[in-house]
Amino acid sequence: MNFLRGVMGGQSAGPQHTEAETIQKLCDRVASSTLLDDRRNAVRALKSLSKKYRLEVGIQAMEHLIHVLQTDRSDSEIIAYALDTLYNIISNDEEEEVEENSTRQSEDLGSQFTEIFIKQPENVTLLLSLLEEFDFHVRWPGVRLLTSLLKQLGPPVQQIILVSPMGVSKLMDLLADSREIIRNDGVLLLQALTRSNGAIQKIVAFENAFERLLDIITEEGNSDGGIVVEDCLILLQNLLKNNNSNQNFFKEGSYIQRMKAWFEVGDENPGWSAQKVTNLHLMLQLVRVLVSPTNPPGATSSCQKAMFQCGLLQQLCTILMATGIPADILTETINTVSEVIRGCQVNQDYFASVNAPSNPPRPAIVVLLMSMVNERQPFVLRCAVLYCFQCFLYKNEKGQGEIVATLLPSTIDATGNSVSAGQLLCGGLFSTDSLSNWCAAVALAHALQGNATQKEQLLRVQLATSIGNPPVSLLQQCTNILSQGSKIQTRVGLLMLLCTWLSNCPIAVTHFLHNSANVPFLTGQIAENLGEEEQLVQGLCALLLGISIYFNDNSLENYTKEKLKQLIEKRIGKENYIEKLGFISKHELYSRASQKPQPNFPSPEYMIFDHEFTKLVKELEGVITKAIYKSSEEDKKEEEVKKTLEQHDNIVTHYKNMIREQDLQLEELKQQVSTLKCQNEQLQTAVTQQASQIQQHKDQYNLLKVQLGKDNHHQGSHSDGAQVNGIQPEEISRLREEIEELRSHQVLLQSQLAEKDTVIENLRSSQVSGMSEQALATCSPRDAEQVAELKQELSALKSQLCSQSLEITRLQTENSELQQRAETLAKSVPVEGESELVTAAKTTDVEGRLSALLQETKELKNEIKALSEERTAIQKQLDSSNSTIAILQTEKDKLYLEVTDSKKEQDDLLVLLADQDQKILSLKSKLKDLGHPVEEEDESGDQEDDDDELDDGDRDQDI
Amino acid sequence: MAYAYLFKYIIIGDTGVGKSCLLLQFTDKRFQPVHDLTMGVEFGARMITIDGKQIKLQIWDTAGQESFRSITRSYYRGAAGALLVYDITRRDTFNHLTTWLEDARQHSNSNMVIMLIGNKSDLESRREVKKEEGEAFAREHGLIFMETSAKTASNVEEAFINTAKEIYEKIQEGVFDINNEANGIKIGPQHAATNASHGGNQGGQQAGGGCC
Repeated sequence: MNFLRGVMGGQSAGPQHTEAETIQKLCDRVASSTLLDDRRNAVRALKSLSKKYRLEVGIQAMEHLIHVLQTDRSDSEIIAYALDTLYNIISNDEEEEVEENSTRQSEDLGSQFTEIFIKQPENVTLLLSLLEEFDFHVRWPGVRLLTSLLKQLGPPVQQIILVSPMGVSKLMDLLADSREIIRNDGVLLLQALTRSNGAIQKIVAFENAFERLLDIITEEGNSDGGIVVEDCLILLQNLLKNNNSNQNFFKEGSYIQRMKAWFEVGDENPGWSAQKVTNLHLMLQLVRVLVSPTNPPGATSSCQKAMFQCGLLQQLCTILMATGIPADILTETINTVSEVIRGCQVNQDYFASVNAPSNPPRPAIVVLLMSMVNERQPFVLRCAVLYCFQCFLYKNEKGQGEIVATLLPSTIDATGNSVSAGQLLCGGLFSTDSLSNWCAAVALAHALQGNATQKEQLLRVQLATSIGNPPVSLLQQCTNILSQGSKIQTRVGLLMLLCTWLSNCPIAVTHFLHNSANVPFLTGQIAENLGEEEQLVQGLCALLLGISIYFNDNSLENYTKEKLKQLIEKRIGKENYIEKLGFISKHELYSRASQKPQPNFPSPEYMIFDHEFTKLVKELEGVITKAIYKSSEEDKKEEEVKKTLEQHDNIVTHYKNMIREQDLQLEELKQQVSTLKCQNEQLQTAVTQQASQIQQHKDQYNLLKVQLGKDNHHQGSHSDGAQVNGIQPEEISRLREEIEELRSHQVLLQSQLAEKDTVIENLRSSQVSGMSEQALATCSPRDAEQVAELKQELSALKSQLCSQSLEITRLQTENSELQQRAETLAKSVPVEGESELVTAAKTTDVEGRLSALLQETKELKNEIKALSEERTAIQKQLDSSNSTIAILQTEKDKLYLEVTDSKKEQDDLLVLLADQDQKILSLKSKLKDLGHPVEEEDESGDQEDDDDELDDGDRDQDI
Repeated sequence: MAYAYLFKYIIIGDTGVGKSCLLLQFTDKRFQPVHDLTMGVEFGARMITIDGKQIKLQIWDTAGQESFRSITRSYYRGAAGALLVYDITRRDTFNHLTTWLEDARQHSNSNMVIMLIGNKSDLESRREVKKEEGEAFAREHGLIFMETSAKTASNVEEAFINTAKEIYEKIQEGVFDINNEANGIKIGPQHAATNASHGGNQGGQQAGGGCC
């Protein structure tokens, strides 16, 4: 090594000279020899010298070696030697055993040679193309050389590979190599290639790296696998860390599901090899990469869901509760579980339900908290538990409520059999171990974070101190301990808890101020001129006082906003106060804690700030400063303004509502209007349509009329059309005749009807006369005759009607036939035409005529319809006359009955008369017998006359 | 989660033609009028159904800028489908199609299905490239063609799904070697498993997959 150092110094001594000469000779041979064997031997010799005389070989031979790579590709042996030599020159790996001071130099050497090599980007491309050779002796040294180039000067080499076409893809093929050495070295190459280069990471992922690497890990036995698994895991981490696109691809490719198998660690395996611990550690970290709080929220939450759905979280919880897990792994598992559940309600709920397999089973949360407040547990483990607890409560109101509830009087388990989370936290808060104090305070603060309900609930908590003494509230106890002046860590923890508790909770502020010792204590702390160590506590006290002012609802007369402000001005001074307040954010550990949610401290002394608390400070520092500087008048004004603003708001909301209502109404009305408009339009269009239709009909009618006239004229001249359509006019004329006939029939019918009407009239009149004369007998035969006549006529009419309707149907069929014929003709016409123009004209003419004819037929149809209507009318009349006849008949029958009745009466009277005559005669004879004068005969004769007269009348009637 | 096939797509075309918006509309069903320039490539995925089969689409949206061209070229080889996008309101993006197509044909596998997309069809008033021109270009180069609007979501589904249909048909015809993942096609885990256990039942479509 002295030797090398001499060279580096630039002082050439005797013995080196010969070596340099040898190298020079070898280089000349490589350059000039025409024989491959010669060249190969020379390169081999260079290779053997390259380790020992790295600098010389590097300086003199690099150019020649690259040339060999370009020109001698056909001989794999010489290529292999050349690659090995280059690797020896560039790589620093072989120098590891060398003492410290020379390592630095050799590192420089490696990077310098790398720089020379990549100065020509084609050299790297050349190397990439050599990797396509399947020959092991070429591929393997090629991989190693490229790896060391990447290790030496990552970014420029990455850039060259990225730009060369399919460069990354070619390197990805190494993972598919069946020779394990190449595959494994390929993994290392890809590690170097993907280091902090997002673009390459994405291409590698695109080329199915996830699939391949997960396959390799599975093949190698997951965490039980060797260093290859470790290398694969590191590569996976490279691909996923801070690369959202790849994380999304990983999740979408359902690769999270494949991670579950990694954590199926059996209890039966007590021996944990160092490699297994490393592998598992990397596996856990890979899970954390996917759910890191610094990832975009959407990405993290979808991964969290997937981890619960595939059972990965459950598997991790099993490890958490298992025995015999190395503390290192356990800690990382707790951290991993923390991030898997953080802010994800489903996972948090699941975590709350996990029980330790103890007897009786205890919730995992309780078991973990026991470790947190246990001094004997490793520091990192306690930090991890705190983190886990924080993550469990992050955005988890339900969980916060459950934790606080374990402290409330109503829910505390009276039997005291099982320890609750709340008891453990209180125990930690007031234990003698300051680390426990801090952790418990921060944990409790997280149970209150952003949850006003729990802040109020926690005020109810009472602590039993010692027997005989009255219970003390938790808030009181915290301030008591604070004033006792314990370790800084304890006080900082308690102050953070109090600040979190009081912020956004005026009731808690009132409770706090109610204890008259608190404000003097705070002002005393802030005002005192203490050493640097106490500055942080002073700052926190200032913050607490500021919170007591800012969230004060002025319910305590002694401690209104105004009075507290005056107190600051008198006792501390505004400027001084603000300066003290500023101590918090100026603290060196403050910015550290504000970066990441995980409480990650190198040692317990650094455990000062909590991440969520730093957020609170950021939020409050400004507003408190403003509140302190504001005068009371301004305060009042502001309040007034607030009030008026509220009023305005009310008015505005009122109007807004009104506007909303009106808007709704407007909308309704608009709709109505639009529907009405629509209807109106529809109607109007209907009207115009109808009008136009009417117009059309009129026009058609006129046209028809005209054409009919024309048709007669042109029939002769249009021999072609006439020949084709000749049938039609004839037919129509025939139809017309028939209609004429029908009309005459109708006329006839009508006249007959009129006749019948008169007959009926006669009948009626005769009936009336008959009734008055009481001579109905003669009437009836006449009537019957008439009825018979009528009936006959009716039947005749009916038959006529029948025949007419038959004729009509016939006509109709004929008509339709005609129409069909006309249509076919119309179709055939254009085909027959000779010149297009003529035919077109003709066809239009024919079409016109056709339509005219159609119109005519339509009209005829209409007439037929009218006729049939008339017929039905006649039928109706007939029916009505028939019914009148029937009525008359019944009346006649009635009259007959009456006549017969009166005849009977007459007969009866005649009989009676005859009887009486006889009686009279007998009486007369008796009287004569008795010798009575027979003068009374006259009288009886007169009576008889009278009777005769009556008889005559009766007789008349009979006649 | 289970899918019958997995297709890899790439989206290419000039910068600002709306590639990322098309992807966003397809995967998230939303439109973002102001979109950051894509750096390199971004990944998106969605499940679709064709012929009753679940098909997972993995889509790589590439940067259109010239400076990223070398990076985006690395994605051609492993893709089964490409959406080549131009902007109907910018003629230059249409004029560059030939370059894009040459690039794609040079670096991709020969069976890659390319869908030509004229995006921003909602901006009819600013149209510079007629639909007929797009159709003609597609006809001339054997591409499928469609006009889309990432803003109104018009035809966006169709563009992605029709490309998948074309690939699916090619698989049925046996054009694609589905066992070579470098083609951008993968058989789903369940599918492959059932294929192996009782290959006869599944038969037909992927007979080549399980048997040989």
